[in-house]
Parts: sequence; structure tokens; C-alpha cells
Amino acid sequence: MRPKDPQDTVQACSDIPLKSYYTAEDIPASHAERVNVAPGEAPYHRGFHPSGYRSKPWRIFQLSGFGKPEDENERIKFLLKNGETGFIMEHDRNTADHCYNVDHPEVLARREDVGLTGAVMQSVRDTAICLDGLPMDTSFGHAGGAVVQHAPFALAAYWAVAKKRGYDLSTLAGTGQSDFNLTYLGCVTKQQIPTDAGLRFNGDIIEFCTEHLPRWVPVSIAGYNGADTGLTPDQELGSLFANAVEYLDEIQLRGRIPLEVAARACGGVSFRASIKIFEEACKMRAARLMWSDLLKERYDIKDERVANLRIHCVTAGSKMAYQQPMNNLVRGALMAVSAVLGGVQSLGVSGYDEALSIPSEHAHQMSVRIQQILMEETGLTDVTDPLGGSYYVETLTAQLVEKSWAFFEEIQTRGGYLACLDSGWLHAKAEENQHKEFMQTESGAANIVGVTMAHDDSSPFEIDGFIGTDDAFDVALERLKEVKRTRHEKGAMRALKDLERVCRGSDNIMPVMMDCLEAEATLGEVGDVYREVFGDWRTPIQC
Amino acid sequence: MKPKRILMAKTGLDGHWRGPTIVARALRDAGFEVIMIGMATTAEIVAAAIDEDVDLVGLNIGGHIDVALRAVDAVQSAAPDMPIFAGGTIPPHACKQLEAKGLEVFPPGSMLTDIVDSANRLTGLSTAP
Repeated sequence: MRPKDPQDTVQACSDIPLKSYYTAEDIPASHAERVNVAPGEAPYHRGFHPSGYRSKPWRIFQLSGFGKPEDENERIKFLLKNGETGFIMEHDRNTADHCYNVDHPEVLARREDVGLTGAVMQSVRDTAICLDGLPMDTSFGHAGGAVVQHAPFALAAYWAVAKKRGYDLSTLAGTGQSDFNLTYLGCVTKQQIPTDAGLRFNGDIIEFCTEHLPRWVPVSIAGYNGADTGLTPDQELGSLFANAVEYLDEIQLRGRIPLEVAARACGGVSFRASIKIFEEACKMRAARLMWSDLLKERYDIKDERVANLRIHCVTAGSKMAYQQPMNNLVRGALMAVSAVLGGVQSLGVSGYDEALSIPSEHAHQMSVRIQQILMEETGLTDVTDPLGGSYYVETLTAQLVEKSWAFFEEIQTRGGYLACLDSGWLHAKAEENQHKEFMQTESGAANIVGVTMAHDDSSPFEIDGFIGTDDAFDVALERLKEVKRTRHEKGAMRALKDLERVCRGSDNIMPVMMDCLEAEATLGEVGDVYREVFGDWRTPIQC
Repeated sequence: MKPKRILMAKTGLDGHWRGPTIVARALRDAGFEVIMIGMATTAEIVAAAIDEDVDLVGLNIGGHIDVALRAVDAVQSAAPDMPIFAGGTIPPHACKQLEAKGLEVFPPGSMLTDIVDSANRLTGLSTAP
């Protein structure tokens, strides 16, 4: 938005004052010597490969799923047919995030909600239906398990299906998520294992993948989920690396696998690509630089293959407006531009119907088309780090790095990232920023087209939100009964007993979780073990 | 005068708290007492509305409209005079269903000042414009 007076202060989202133009004098001395490195040279803010997108285009990677596993399967196939180059399995929030089966009272009370945000997968049979005919061996798959307590189950289900299909796990490429920002900050659940148990799970997943699935990204920290809850770009960066050091310190403490391997594993992250194009592009550049410096300074890791931070981006869902939803096609494209200018490796564009519902088939298709247009038609991919050397961009990158480290340090002085989740300190930060952002819109200091200005009550492009299928609950309930009736009951019970024993001890949880899935133990039964052993996280916010 | 009390609850099991938290803050800033019970079942919402002796019920809706409609019916049946308003990711057809039951509805993009005005009106602190 244009300031009232050209002399008025203009601030970046990270509370950094912006000048009306920049010169070489503005670039901080500490960063000036780094401006002249080429892409492929440390500290990698200019990208990890000199040839950038010429040699490897970004992955078109869309969140997808709803309804029954076969509904999700159909949508994923639709996306792959339309040009998606990896696939993401969304799980139903009610069941997956809480590790409940559909017959849990909390779910029964909301049965129509089941399947609205992802497919219901309560046993390995459901996961097999969702993956039917999907190219698990050649495609990069996101197994789901975005929420921490769900991750071991979702990963084991995916891998159990792969094994049954005859694939060697060591050849599989894909990603887990198990994101603390989502679980404990952005989208808190009604019931969840405490953060220390979550840290243990993630450490176990990292170790298990190191041994069995070297091409798999075991856990993926999502700055997105901090940012779309209200953290500013510098806070998104600072908290992401504060989270990463929790994982790496844990792995170092355990001492079972080389730290370099764990660092490589933790280097697959995601960020939000929001609407302030230059600040967001700078954020991706800053992230690579910070990861490289962090590994060198804190852990003495200098291997450049380890310092290669791989970034997935999702465009900001909260920037998609409810009013005049076709405007969101433009917003999605521009946010995607910010990610591409920042040199990310993977991208999802939120649907134009994001403020109304999960994506319709058409909205999903358009998210893919936006990416294809950027990739094929615009020349954005011709030159690596096209913004490199810009006085403004280099200055803002350096300023973001400095502010982000300050936030990182502030988290450390408060006991670290986990402590800041437990205490609610990060929630309070996010809330304060949200409030500020809302007030700017309310006061007219910031505009949203179609919402606070340029109203058009006669828009011909009205949409009414996508509704998936209405039989997800009924089918899931039938299948739950079916699996319990036809599985080898003693085997399932034995596996669950083993799981409880391992949960109470310190062995890696993943081998026994594989046993549970192969013995057809169900999601809710696994959740019951967690609830018994670990209890519940004390949510620091009332929401 | 004793501040008017508003119960706020989420009908779904989806914990996105950004919207309801901002709304609660605006309502508190406007002088209301806000009781947030978070994700709650229909039975829990009705019980809290009665026990807390509130003047207004606010529902944050992020899931299927039938779940929300059930909560609305239950509150209206237990406390026929209780005003209800709702906000959240509510598509147009669902807004209409809620409005048909007498609710004021605030989908994404609503202004906080309009929500506060609505609370004032629904609790009798101001009259309709």
C-alpha cells in the first residue's frame, strides 16, 4: 500500500524499516564480502547449485486429500496427471491428529467432519487403498503424519505398504513431517503427547531413516505453520533453527548416528511464501545462509552436502481472501514468484478457494497451472539467484539474518524452542503480531483488494466451497469393524503390547511401529498406548 | 454495570486458533467478559452456556456445517432466548443455513468492529442500526 506521504516510514513485515531506494553503502559490512560469492559457494544464500533451475526444476507438490482413501487416491492421480511431480497424502484431522479411531466419542460427536480435511486411514489397509497405483518407487511421496504423535503411524503405514508391494525401503524417496510448529503452535489438537515425548519420537524417526531409508526426509520443520499463525519472517527463521538445534542436540546426546547424517536429514524444511515478494525471497536466501553458518559454528560441520538446505514452500493460506476468490489466482502466482526468486526446491500453491474450503478439483488444477506457467513461460528459471547483488535484496537478506539470529538467541535464553512452546511464549508472540496485522487492516493502514477496497457485490465468479464425499465416516466405521474382525487378533495385541513396552523404555519406536502396522493394529489403539504412557500435553493457550 | 458474558467455542476438532483468539481479544477490549472453552462437543457447549450464565454464544466453525447446526439447535432448544453468532471458514451456502436459524455470521474478511457491534446488539447493549 502506498504511504500517505512518500516520507512516511515503510516497514517490512519483520519490522525492518525500508528506505525508498538502496545503494552499495547500505549493505552491512559483515555481509558485503559475501555478496560476491557465486551460487554453489558457501554460505549458499545464492543457492546450492550454480545451474539452479536449469538443471533441476522445483517439485510441484500440492497438499491433497479428503474423504475415503479412494477419494484421496483419485485426487492425487488427477494432480499427477495434470503435472504434479510428487504427491502429498493428507489425513483426516479428527482421527489422525488425535490418533483416534472413528468410534472415539470425540469423533462420533462430529461425524460429519470426518474426511473433510483428509482421508481417514485407520489401518494399513486404508493406506494401501490410498496408495493404490501410485508411483511410490519413482515419485517423491509425503506420507502425511504432519502432527507429531501421528507421524510414526503414518510413516510406518506408508513403508509397510511399500514393503508389501516388494519395494526395498532403502530406495524410497519421500518425506515425513512431524512438525512441532503445526502440532504445538499453529493448530493445537484436543489431545497430544507432551513435547518431550514428541522430541523422542522425532529422534527415533531420524535414527530409523538413517539406517533403513537414507533417501527419506525423516522429519520436516515447517516454518509455514509458525508464519501462518502470526510469526514474522525473522521469527519464522529464528524459531525454525531453534527447533532444528533441539533435534540435533538430541541426536548428539544419543550419540548413535553421525551428527552429519542427522544434520543432512534435518535440512529438508518448509517455509511460508507470503505476499511481500522481496522480503519472502530474502527469507529463503537468509535461510540457506543461516543453516550453513549454524552447522559450521555450532556443530563444526563443514561438509557442503550437509549444508544444502532443501526448501519446500507453500503459499500463505491466510492471504487468500474469501471475497472475490478469483483474485486469489493472482495472489497465488505472486507468492509463488517470491518462492521461486528465493530459489526453493519444492512448491505448493494454495487453492483460490482456500478461504472457503479444501481445494476443488479446478482450484487444485489451477495451482498446478500457475506453477507450470512460471516454470515454462516466464523466464524465471533462466538465471540462478536473479536478485543476487541487488543493493536492496542483499541488504534486506543481511538484516533478516541478523534479526532472525536475535530471535533465535531470545528463544535460547528462555530455555530453548520446546520450552517456548510449553510456556506459550511463542503463541503470545504470534498472537501479538496477528493482532497488529488485523488492526492495520481495520484502521485502513493496510488494504486487501476485494475486502477493504474495490468491493464488487456483483462478481460473476462466485464459488461456494468444495464439499467432498458424505460417506467417509460410514465407510471408515465399517472398515474399522472389518479389520478388527478379520486380522490376526493375537498378533495385533502382541504388537501393541510391544509398543507399550518400547514407549515406556528408550528403544527406537519405529521397528515396533512397523510391527504394529503389519499386524494391522489400528490408529486409535496406538493412540491409546500413547495416552496411557505419555499422558497429555498441557496446552498453554485457550482456543 | 456488570460486563456482558460471551461463551466462545469451536465446534470442530481442528485447532486453528488464530481467528477465535483475535475475535476474543477484540471483544474483551470492548468490555465483554469472554469465556473460551475451545474445541467442544454440542453437549459441552450447551452445558457451558447454561453453567456460565452467558449472554451470548459465539461459535467458531471450521468443519462441516451439520455439526455446527446441531450445536445451534441444542443451544436454542436449551435456552430459547440465547443469541448466537458464528465465524470461521464458512462457505456461502452454510452462512445462509446459519442465518436462517437467526444467527449473525462472520466469514473470513469480516471486520472486528462489525463483530463487536454485533455483540453489543445481541446482548442488548445497543439497538439495531
